[in-house]
Amino acid sequence: MDQPRAHAEQETEPAASPAGTEGAGEAGRPAVSVVVIVYNDAARLPTAVRSVLDQTLRDVEVVVVDDRSTDGSYEVARRLAAAHPGRVRACRLPENSGGCGAPRNRGITEARGTYVVFLDSDDVLERNACRNFLEAAETTGADLVSGLCVRVHVDARARKEVKWYPWLYERTRTLESVSELPDLLVFDTLSTNKCYRRQFLLDEDLRFPVGIHYEDLLFSAQAYATARSITLIPNRVYDWRVADKAEAKSISNRRDEIANFTHRMEIHRRVDRLLADRGLLDLKFAKDVKFLKHDLVLHLRELPFRDAAYREEFAAIARRYLESIDRAAFDETEPIHAICAYLLQVADWDNLLPAVDTLTNRDKISSPLVERDGRVYWCAEHLDDPFGRHVLDVTGLGHHIKAVDRMFLRNALTSYESSGTTVRLAGRVTNPLGVIPPGARLAGELEFYARRPGVRFQTFRFPVATLWHAGEAIAWEGSADLAAVRPLGIVDAVWDVRLHLDVDGVRTTTRLTAAEPGLAEGRLPVRPRLSRLVADRIEPVVSSRGHLSFRLVPDKKANVLVLRGVHGRAATLAKSGYRRARSLRKDLTSGDTKIRLYHEVFSRLPVRKGLVVFESHLGRQYSDSPRAIYEEMRRQGLEFEPVWAYADGPAGFPDDATLVRRWSLPYLRALAQAEFWVDNQSYPLKLTKRPETTYIQTWHGSALKRMGFDEAEWKLKSREEQAEQQRTLDRFDRFLIRSEHDVHTLARAFRLQERTLLRVGYPRNDALVRARWSEEGDGRRERGPLAAELGIPEDRQILLYAPTFRSRGNGQKRFELPFDVERFADTFGDRYVLLVRSHYLNHVVLPPSVRGRVLDVTSYHDMTPLLALADGLITDYSSVMFDYALLDRPMFFFAYDYDAYVHEDRGTYFDLLERAPGPVVRTEDELHTVLGSLEEQSVKYAPRREQFLADFGEYDRGTAARSVVDQFFGQWRRG
Amino acid sequence: MTGPQRDVFFVSNSVDELGGVTSWSHQMARLFTGRGHRVHVVGITEPAVPQELGELPYPTTTLYDVHPPRVGPARGLRGRLDVAERRLRAERAAGMREKAAELTALFRAARPGAVVIVTQVWAMEWVELADTTGLTVIGMSHESFEYSRKTSRFRRVRKHYKDVDRMLALTREDADLWIRQGMDNASYMPNPLPFVPEVPSPRIENAVVSVGRLTDQKGIDMLLDAWSEVAPLHPDWRLRIYGSGEDEEILRKQCTALGLDDSVDWMGRTSDVPGALRGGSVFVLSSRGEGFPLALMEAMATGLPCAAFDCAPGVHEIVRDGEDGLLATLGNTGELARRLDTLMSDKALRDAMGDAARANVRRFTTDEVVRRWEDLFAFLER
Repeated sequence: MDQPRAHAEQETEPAASPAGTEGAGEAGRPAVSVVVIVYNDAARLPTAVRSVLDQTLRDVEVVVVDDRSTDGSYEVARRLAAAHPGRVRACRLPENSGGCGAPRNRGITEARGTYVVFLDSDDVLERNACRNFLEAAETTGADLVSGLCVRVHVDARARKEVKWYPWLYERTRTLESVSELPDLLVFDTLSTNKCYRRQFLLDEDLRFPVGIHYEDLLFSAQAYATARSITLIPNRVYDWRVADKAEAKSISNRRDEIANFTHRMEIHRRVDRLLADRGLLDLKFAKDVKFLKHDLVLHLRELPFRDAAYREEFAAIARRYLESIDRAAFDETEPIHAICAYLLQVADWDNLLPAVDTLTNRDKISSPLVERDGRVYWCAEHLDDPFGRHVLDVTGLGHHIKAVDRMFLRNALTSYESSGTTVRLAGRVTNPLGVIPPGARLAGELEFYARRPGVRFQTFRFPVATLWHAGEAIAWEGSADLAAVRPLGIVDAVWDVRLHLDVDGVRTTTRLTAAEPGLAEGRLPVRPRLSRLVADRIEPVVSSRGHLSFRLVPDKKANVLVLRGVHGRAATLAKSGYRRARSLRKDLTSGDTKIRLYHEVFSRLPVRKGLVVFESHLGRQYSDSPRAIYEEMRRQGLEFEPVWAYADGPAGFPDDATLVRRWSLPYLRALAQAEFWVDNQSYPLKLTKRPETTYIQTWHGSALKRMGFDEAEWKLKSREEQAEQQRTLDRFDRFLIRSEHDVHTLARAFRLQERTLLRVGYPRNDALVRARWSEEGDGRRERGPLAAELGIPEDRQILLYAPTFRSRGNGQKRFELPFDVERFADTFGDRYVLLVRSHYLNHVVLPPSVRGRVLDVTSYHDMTPLLALADGLITDYSSVMFDYALLDRPMFFFAYDYDAYVHEDRGTYFDLLERAPGPVVRTEDELHTVLGSLEEQSVKYAPRREQFLADFGEYDRGTAARSVVDQFFGQWRRG
Repeated sequence: MTGPQRDVFFVSNSVDELGGVTSWSHQMARLFTGRGHRVHVVGITEPAVPQELGELPYPTTTLYDVHPPRVGPARGLRGRLDVAERRLRAERAAGMREKAAELTALFRAARPGAVVIVTQVWAMEWVELADTTGLTVIGMSHESFEYSRKTSRFRRVRKHYKDVDRMLALTREDADLWIRQGMDNASYMPNPLPFVPEVPSPRIENAVVSVGRLTDQKGIDMLLDAWSEVAPLHPDWRLRIYGSGEDEEILRKQCTALGLDDSVDWMGRTSDVPGALRGGSVFVLSSRGEGFPLALMEAMATGLPCAAFDCAPGVHEIVRDGEDGLLATLGNTGELARRLDTLMSDKALRDAMGDAARANVRRFTTDEVVRRWEDLFAFLER
């Protein structure tokens, strides 16, 4: 090895050419040096080196640094150097360093290229990596270029690939400072997917720390913090090859783990110091958040599997570091992250361990919770500490408004005993906020089922002997004779257990959590159907999520035979046959098959006279004009055959109609044979309507926002796509119209023919018009049964808040109220009850503090009774404004995001500010001001309401349902 | 000239097919010839609709005098058993090998450092069969990523350009999108500005100009929708639509239905684009999709402020929104109408943006783009 020469060269070398200059530089100086470090990895080293020599950029050298391997890695490196003179060099450290830092540092010294890249001997570079690094570095002059790393699971059956923090590498971008993208420093702590300007490393004296693990974290943090500019490229540059099997086996002992954790915390401290020294406070904050959300979580999740001594030692180290975390960072995490960190900090193990269960199983409710002063807290302890109270406030999670069957409750196993073939279990189910009342009828059932759904042919159930309220929890005891459990063997080697708990007939399902290590042990005999040759015992295991499950213990000798069988030709054929059968079944039940069935079979059956298929909002509701028409038909006692379509479940739909699930075969058949379709939105787009069927499209609201072909999305479609879209719209034989505004907007936007337009108003609004008549007749406003159902006192006026749908992207359905609901209740609670109805695709969570003063009525199918009930309406851009105007009651427009909504979105048909029949306010304070007196607003805006009604509701005259029935269904009147 | 003089081959579907790619290749071919490179333009087959090219200072070759047999990929058992199809496919494969051999012969004759620029992915199917040892092969996608994604080219680009030395999109943004599809060899190269007129538009006529074929892609239907919102606000302004195409009749009907006949002029196809642009004060681009639109660059070079749908990365690469033109969300005709209204209402703004446009668009002058190409050739040799 030529160590002295390399050093001499280093000293005499001129400074590297500045970034941005082109060409190969001085003779012999490669563009890029790739430092390949190796320790006892002779077998894979050549592959790593080959990945460099095969680079599309030819101007690359390899510097292999051997960390004093004992397996001949250095000899392999030397052979590679000999085979590729001038392109590969090899050197080794005088003694083993035990880490990656020392060899990489040596590589920096040895490298001659203008740029340096690090590669581990078990990984490979993407073919274009160096070319892409170089192009980016030379065009932007960056000190550091970083690209996408991909973790390749080489042992996985189908080579699984996972991108490493891909959101950082979505596009090429250059940062003047890493503080422009704190996530980069915080998440991508690898040193290997990067290309460093060598002179930058030398000038800044950047070296890896030696003698400590996690050296990458500190090195990359230093590089990020000192680089004058950083370029990120979306290119895949580095394959991090992960050997899963080896990883699973490398369960080190407790001493090692604690040592690792100590190292990790030490590195974190050094990084923090670096950031503090450089005044990068934002980065420190982002790092704190990440620590709470990610780093700490990894370790916390392990706690249930560790003994008390480990837990204490871990907690002591973690607690010291948590002291340095900015408390504001707790607000940037999910509540459970902050709760766990806080409970760890205050060493409250009794509450921490259940909280960790929720950390691992995100939807689980693992604490009994407590309500104080109208807020819900994770636990009753620590509420006197203001910070604790803040962190433990989980009102926003909305657990207090969930029914027990929508809850995933923690069920902690308290005892496990086995004897013979029987296992006796006991546990405690969390009872949050007493959702399971003391007097409830309780029943329980333990269920054993194969983990792989594909082989779950049979489940085995055992009733739970006893269940009782035990303090804050529900305790239970039961036993299962596993002689009854008959797995097939091999394919269903893992069995999970769950406990179904019936509370007054409502079922909630729990998994059994083995909260302490060593709780569940002891093998039991079992008789697989494939004979005991494959396994004759079953043993309890705890899944990675902490849940009790069972595993067949294979007989070693039999196992070899079996594995041979499983991978043999006969088995392969059987397996592929099975898969084919499954995919055939999937095909048969697929949407395409159903559509064909509809057109080729059902549509050839005769149309059934009197068959009417009703649907409202894609089957989600029994509501709106289809309902009003249906009820009018019933009222008149017509003879017909009604079918209602439902999407989720038949609850809430009428008993006296045939109910069919949307997309089911009966549904398709009913549609194909119907004489009438009555709907307010759309039947499945791909279904062609038969000419014999009459489609009455009631529609569901006049338009403020642009619709249909007035929307960008529709306009952008190609001519064929537009024609396709038009075909679905041309299925409408009749389209209900409330005013000439509808004719100019909806009818035009859907390109409907004049003859389809039915100027009768909306059947759903008949009730509103009648309510106004009755009120004007006797001067009294009838509240009806809904007020009592909602428990609204006589002396309160009712306001309805009905905002329009807002999508927040990334699948979030939670709708955050744009005002402080507690403040509202405190200000107006003695006068008003506020009903909140978010769009049916959104949902809201109200804190317990506003109980009785603010009510969530989102789950009410039908909007009309709510409108009729409300003494005033608050909305923004929702089409309910057109309907509510029929009542001639005060309206308020809380348009807090007017400009964004109107201009950045799809635009509106008219200017709401000009024509709104009530005050338009932008802020919460303004809203409070105008809500001061309903009467005053009512008088002030009376002329505007009248004008609004004339413009947008001229055909709503209270007779819409009757007109429709007379016109289309009159022939079905009896006698 | 500083760099080495090279042999440069352009390989396209046709030497003289009517369209932007042909104009681009011959513009570049002339420029490279002017820089002392030895250029050869190769077409796979004869075009359906030819384009007049004039006298060319470099040789051209067309491989097929009859279009090669058209066959789809064999699908399913039935596809594989279809005898006639199989024969056709075999014939096509044999023909391709023969033509690829002709390419190989051309490439062999080249000096070291030669470059093959494949302008369209269909042509790559022949180039990949030829022997390109020692040559640098560059594959190009002359449209935006999103637009390409809607066509069969999306799959073919990823297949046939996978191993070329560099795949070039039109903008950084498009290249990044290709990279995320696994095309790690992707980079980008902008189109050069076709011409810089000596005299800019005086911007005195109250006319908005649109130049483009009357096809679905150019979105004239959306332009008319937008115009129906602005025209009533500016009765003294006219919309001049240059171009012809298959949709002309439908579009004229739409124009009449919207009651715009009094303010829209159907100008037909023009051979004098510079003149057409000089006669306007505002340029409008209403396309559903584009690559690196030449018409937009030409308009800017003529000193016209533009209102455009932001339909491709190339568009917001060329137009600096709010500085030398105004962009609207693709398909949002109300917004495009507002942008037009802004420009039509404000002479000072038109002048400022028009002047800025003419100055800014010079970053795509031929000198600049040729330099980038030569740098790329040198880079790919390292």
